[in-house]
Amino acid sequence: MKDRISVLMDGELDDRSAAQVIDALADWSQAGSQAGSEAAGEAREAWRTYHLISDALGKSRMLSEGFSERVAAALAAEPTVLAPRRLGGAREPRRWVALAAGVAAVSLVGWLGFAPREPVVQVAKAPAPVVPKEAKPALVALPSGTNDYLLAHQAFSPRMSLVGMAPYVRTVSEPAREARR
Amino acid sequence: MRKRALGAALVLATSVAQAQSPETLGWLRKMHQATQRLSYVGTFVYQNADRTETSRITRYAAEDIEKLEVMNGVPREIVRTRDKIRCYLPDSRVVKVDRRVDRDFPGLLPEQIAALGRHYDISLGETQRIAGLDCQTVVLQPKDNLRYGYRLYADLKSGMLMRADTVDAAGKSVETLMFTQFTPGNVTPDMVRPRHEGKKWRIEDTGAVPAHLVGWGLAAELPGFHKVTELKRRLGESRPVGQMVFSDGLAAVSVFIEPLESRPDRAATGLASMGAINIYTREVANHMITVVGEAPAVSVQRIADAVEFRRPTQ
Repeated sequence: MKDRISVLMDGELDDRSAAQVIDALADWSQAGSQAGSEAAGEAREAWRTYHLISDALGKSRMLSEGFSERVAAALAAEPTVLAPRRLGGAREPRRWVALAAGVAAVSLVGWLGFAPREPVVQVAKAPAPVVPKEAKPALVALPSGTNDYLLAHQAFSPRMSLVGMAPYVRTVSEPAREARR
Repeated sequence: MRKRALGAALVLATSVAQAQSPETLGWLRKMHQATQRLSYVGTFVYQNADRTETSRITRYAAEDIEKLEVMNGVPREIVRTRDKIRCYLPDSRVVKVDRRVDRDFPGLLPEQIAALGRHYDISLGETQRIAGLDCQTVVLQPKDNLRYGYRLYADLKSGMLMRADTVDAAGKSVETLMFTQFTPGNVTPDMVRPRHEGKKWRIEDTGAVPAHLVGWGLAAELPGFHKVTELKRRLGESRPVGQMVFSDGLAAVSVFIEPLESRPDRAATGLASMGAINIYTREVANHMITVVGEAPAVSVQRIADAVEFRRPTQ
C-alpha cells in the first residue's frame, strides 16, 4: 500500500487506481480510531511522511500539526467527487522530478482538503496553484503578471468574435495577486 | 501514383464535406453576426475546475462598445471600444490600456469558418434550453490532440451564443462560459461607460505596435497553427516584450519574448494552467519565453520548445 501511496503522490496512477487508493485512505481515516486498524495507521503514516519529504524537497510551506488528520477527514467527507476531476483522463505513466511531484501532491492535498469551503483563496495560497491535466513537464505557479499576458493574448483570440468579450473574464480572474503587486 | 493522389483527395474532400454541412457552417456564421449586430445586457458565469465567477456584459452595437464587469471578488471592469481596451482595477487604482491592434486582425470571417473544417469536425447537436432560450448545439470536434474541442449553444432565434464549453480530449469540460440571463436591445451609451473615471490612477499603456521580431521564430510550426501577427508591446509597468501569435482559426497561442534583464524576477521553467489556458515558460538566448494559449498543454509546450533565436546574418 505504501508503494501505491507513493505512486499516487507521483501522479502516476491512472484514474481508477488513484480513486481506489484515495477511497482506501478515506475509509481508513474513518476506521482509524477503531481497533485492528494497523494497516490504516501505517498508510496514514506513509502519507504524512511522504508529504514531509516532498515538502522538504519542494521547500514549501510547512503543514501544521494534525494536517493529515484534517485532510483525511475532509477526504472521508468528499472522497470520490473531487479526485477524479483533478486527475484527468487515462495517461501514460510519467516520471516527474521530486520537486514537481512534491509540489503537485501538496497542491492536490490542499485542494482536496479545502476546496469545498473556499477554493479560490486556498488555490491562491498554495505553493503551486495548478495541477494541469496533461502535465508531463514541471508544474509551476502562474508567472507573475499573468494578467498582463492574458490581457495581451486575449485580443488575438479568434474566438473573441464568437463570444464577444466573455473570455476577458479570464484575464482578470487573479485579482488578489494583481492588487498586491 | 497520380490516380492514387486524386483518389485520396476525393476521399478527403468528401469527408470534409460531410463534416461541415452548409447548415452547420451557417450556424457558426449566424453566431458571429449576432455577436456583432446585437445590443444586449447579460449576466454570465465563467467556470473552470478551480473557480466560478459571475460577470455582467453590456454591448452597445451602434458604436461597437462592450463593457464587462466582474461581480464577485475584487471589483474589475473592462471596456472595449473600437480602438482601445481599458481594464480598470479600482483596488490598485490602475488602468491598463491596450490599443486594439487586433482590429486589423481578422476575427472569424466567413472563409475562415469554412477553413475550420480542416482541423475540426463540425456537426449539429440537440436543442437545449439555456437562460430561458431554446438553443442549437454546434459541436466542434478536433481532429487531433493539439487543440481543444468546443460545444457551442446558440439561441435558435437570434443566433446569439449563449454557452460555450471548451472540452479536452476525454470530452470533459475544462471551461464553460454561459449566460444565465440575457436581454437584447435597449442599451444606451451611458450603460457602457466605465463606472470609474480613473483620473489620477496609474495608467499602464501597452503601446502595442506591429513589428518584425528579428531573429525570432519557430523551428517547426505546430500542425494547423500559423503565425497571424507579430508585435512589440510593454507588459505591466514598462517591460518591453515581443509577441508572436499563432492560430488555427479558432484557438490562438501567443509567444511572449522578453529580455531576462528587464524581468523583476526569474520565472520558473515549466507549465502552469488556468481553465483552458495553458502557460509554458522557458529561457532561450537570454530571453524569457512565455507561451500562453487556450490550447492543450502539449500544444503550448511544443510551441514553446520550438522557439529559437537565429542571429541575423551580416
